[in-house]
Amino acid sequence: MNVIGVLLPTIVFTVCSILTVPLLRLVRKSKLDPQRFMVAWILLSFSVAAFSVFRLATEYFGQSQSVLQISSADTILAPLSTVFLVDTVSVYMVIAYLVVGSISCLYGVLHVNPKESLSERYYALLLIVTGTVIAATFSGDLLTLFIFWEATTVGSCFLVAYKKSRESLEAALKYLIMVIIASGFIIYGLSLVYGLTGSLNFWVVKQVLLTTGNTHLLLVAFAFIVAGYAIETAIVPFHMWLPDAYTAAPASASAFLSALVDQGSYYILLRVLLFILTPPAVVDWRFTIAIFSALTMTVGNLFALAQQNVKRMVSYVCIADIGYNLIAITSLTSIGLNGNLFFFFVAAMETALAFMVIGIFNKMGLENLEDLSGMGRKMPLTSLAFVCAALSFSGVPLFAGFIAKYMVFTSVLQSSVAWLALVGVCNSVLQSAYLLRVIHYLFAKAPKNDVVIEEPKKLLVPIYLLVIIIIILGIFPALALDLLSTASISLIL
Amino acid sequence: MQTLLIALLLPALSIPVIYGVGKKSAKTAALFLALISLVSLSLLLTLIPTVLNEGQYVESYYWIPTLGSAFTLFVDGISLSLAIVTLILVAATTVYSINYMEEKSSLPEYYALMSLLTIGLVGVFITSNLLLFYFCWELMLVPTYFIIGGWGYRESFAAAFKFFIFTHAGAIFVLLGIGAIYMLTGTLDIFQAQAILATVDPNVLTWVLASFTIGFAVKMAIVPLHMWLPDAHSEAPAPMSALLSGVIIGAGGYAILRISLGTVYSAMPPIVGNEFLYILSFFGVLSAFYGSFLALAETDIKRIIAYSSISHMGYILFALSLFPFAEGITGGVLHLVNHAASKGLLFLTAGAVMHQTGVRDIKEMGGLASKMPLTAIASAVAAFSIGGIPPFACFISEFHIFVGAVTAAGSDGSYFLPTVLMLIATVFSLAYVLRYFWKVFLESPKLQRDDIKDPHIFINIAMIALAAFVVILGIYPGIFIDLIYAVTSI
Repeated sequence: MNVIGVLLPTIVFTVCSILTVPLLRLVRKSKLDPQRFMVAWILLSFSVAAFSVFRLATEYFGQSQSVLQISSADTILAPLSTVFLVDTVSVYMVIAYLVVGSISCLYGVLHVNPKESLSERYYALLLIVTGTVIAATFSGDLLTLFIFWEATTVGSCFLVAYKKSRESLEAALKYLIMVIIASGFIIYGLSLVYGLTGSLNFWVVKQVLLTTGNTHLLLVAFAFIVAGYAIETAIVPFHMWLPDAYTAAPASASAFLSALVDQGSYYILLRVLLFILTPPAVVDWRFTIAIFSALTMTVGNLFALAQQNVKRMVSYVCIADIGYNLIAITSLTSIGLNGNLFFFFVAAMETALAFMVIGIFNKMGLENLEDLSGMGRKMPLTSLAFVCAALSFSGVPLFAGFIAKYMVFTSVLQSSVAWLALVGVCNSVLQSAYLLRVIHYLFAKAPKNDVVIEEPKKLLVPIYLLVIIIIILGIFPALALDLLSTASISLIL
Repeated sequence: MQTLLIALLLPALSIPVIYGVGKKSAKTAALFLALISLVSLSLLLTLIPTVLNEGQYVESYYWIPTLGSAFTLFVDGISLSLAIVTLILVAATTVYSINYMEEKSSLPEYYALMSLLTIGLVGVFITSNLLLFYFCWELMLVPTYFIIGGWGYRESFAAAFKFFIFTHAGAIFVLLGIGAIYMLTGTLDIFQAQAILATVDPNVLTWVLASFTIGFAVKMAIVPLHMWLPDAHSEAPAPMSALLSGVIIGAGGYAILRISLGTVYSAMPPIVGNEFLYILSFFGVLSAFYGSFLALAETDIKRIIAYSSISHMGYILFALSLFPFAEGITGGVLHLVNHAASKGLLFLTAGAVMHQTGVRDIKEMGGLASKMPLTAIASAVAAFSIGGIPPFACFISEFHIFVGAVTAAGSDGSYFLPTVLMLIATVFSLAYVLRYFWKVFLESPKLQRDDIKDPHIFINIAMIALAAFVVILGIYPGIFIDLIYAVTSI
């Protein structure tokens, strides 16, 4: 296994992304249907990438080490001193990205009206962002991580700004400013770390942190790095950009961003916090994170409760989800970390599903709760998909969200911050209340007019794919959990 | 044999069939669902000899090993009797729905939700795995929300909303308790967990016990956590009210017995937790009085019965507080069975009255006995049973409860006062039942209409069958007492 093998999925996505623009223009000139072509093109690029990930995974599971360090030392890329890390967790995350990413990209193609022209740049962006998220997930040193993650966020900024309306430009600008501040923090932290340890490699840095007596300056450096990634993860009080950005972005982009970029940023936070700053060996940050977790959940849910715009409400649900994830990080138990990883996948699917359904409503000009009145009777299948997302969010069994929440809440009960479980439980009730309110509007309120609406059959295909995966994982979570059972150990090392 | 697995999954597998058939003919779908529940019922009935001989019957399948969970299906005498009465009630309410719901729309969805609900209703009783239990516990909730909301009366979605939020909040406390048990013992099987819990610090167990009991008490609608019940029961369509009042709140009582008392409390050293039982008996008495007083004051036909349910859950909680006195617990479980059948029947007859007259205020009724003789007979059976008049079903179970209570009072003086108060409460129970029956069926008629008559055939069949079951339960309760006593006497 070498660097190329690890980077292959990213390379595939980059090449496909570059080819998208000329190919789509060619197709337009010919007689082919551009929408069909794009569906085929996206399926092709995702399946080639999936194949390369599959090759990587078989190679990884075929050997005995639990963590593979792949460095560029013996290749022509030696001067870069790049290190990649392949373990169960990163492979699992990449599989999750591929599943949810392909479905939301397909939705992105189908969501465009046949009459409107498909924008080649948009799909090129979706593909290349998928590639960079995957590379960031595999990265094994702080600089590689930083570079690929910055590429991801810049791509996301363009996705947010895509509509070029006033509010989307404003949201993108807000996002961009936050990201630049964050990268400033991270770069500053990185330079300190490099100056003190002479390396940015995860393992080396951790070793230094464990052995050096005086780690104060290094901890300051890490405070900057963690703060930077906390901004990008939208932990309260750094969350302001997220609702604006996800509300202003096109529906398929919101689905894509919440599924890949959001979950990717939690994953990175998890890596940096757990892998490098392992508590209590290096530094005990559990109580601090617990405070942030409680704050993030509560603020996210309270703001969601106050929203009239449904898309904005779901954006706040994304923030609340970060809070639930942080609960599990503080527990440091294997069930908590497995729950966390399971939660990433599930939350990616749930939020993507919710944004996709809302995308259908938004397309008809329905944005607020009031507008949704009676849609449950007019568009039963579409509304039912939202009901599934809402029930999964609120942790009702049969849906995968329940297992995720159960593992997260359970994990914290035995830790030093057991009160967090109670905060989480109260938040969960609050969450089910406002999500139920949406269901209430969909089904209980009388429709505003008698216009008959036909359900968008094509769009329901990716939506129901997600519903089915959520239900299957809800009934047989062992499918994912068996893969993860060894993962949490490798995460702490 | 995978008897229990088949019995549990038959309703699940039949959902697509029911939905598909329902598109063509709702009546066939309903009959099919009733048939399915009778098949499940007969499968359960075949287990009676095994359970009587060996005490229990267990099946276990692969499920989620990483979370310490197997798909364990388990019955002993208690859970078997409750599952049997549940399936009888499901069959009766489904047949009843054929005529009762025929004017409503979206019936395929209704019957599909009913069969989804059946899995939850049966599942809570026949598993010993806490995670599976929680699955079924929430499966009782979600379909109910949609049935109450979609096919209920007046502001039905508002009532359903209240129901969902209250019971889901309760359920999350249950989930916290389940998580705690997993963290403390590493298993989610209640019997394995109980053995390990005995080594755990009782102070920790107090929290677990509180979390579970509060969660279950919400479902059981114990005062002061009862606020959702009157609205949900009175706005739901009659078949759903019957299941809600008969089975769903009873499941709360069952869960307190099996999990709070059977698993957690019994693992605590005897000195620590006696206060817990006193608390249970206090809230039991409180609910019994509160429910009967409000039932006496209320004039809405369904709200009377709803408050009566609160009162009877008080009886059951009081009976459970007699743990571990065998007569008391036997009486409590038998009362769960008898109350489910009688209260289900009472709701069905009340629904028939509302369906035929279009009125729900009992002050506007009266004299219906001559116009709707069949409904009146069924209603009399149900009402007299609820009132505790011999020889109807609930008399037997209340008698057992009081035998247990007097025994308990003999050995522990603290039970003396609650027992006396509970005996006084039965007087009020009788009072509201007689008032109800008098006002609806006997008093001089106030509705000047000639077109009121007994309802259609399927409603009649359901009511008469259930009435016959209640009478049999009253005259010949032996099989259920044997089943339950086999467990409680250990």
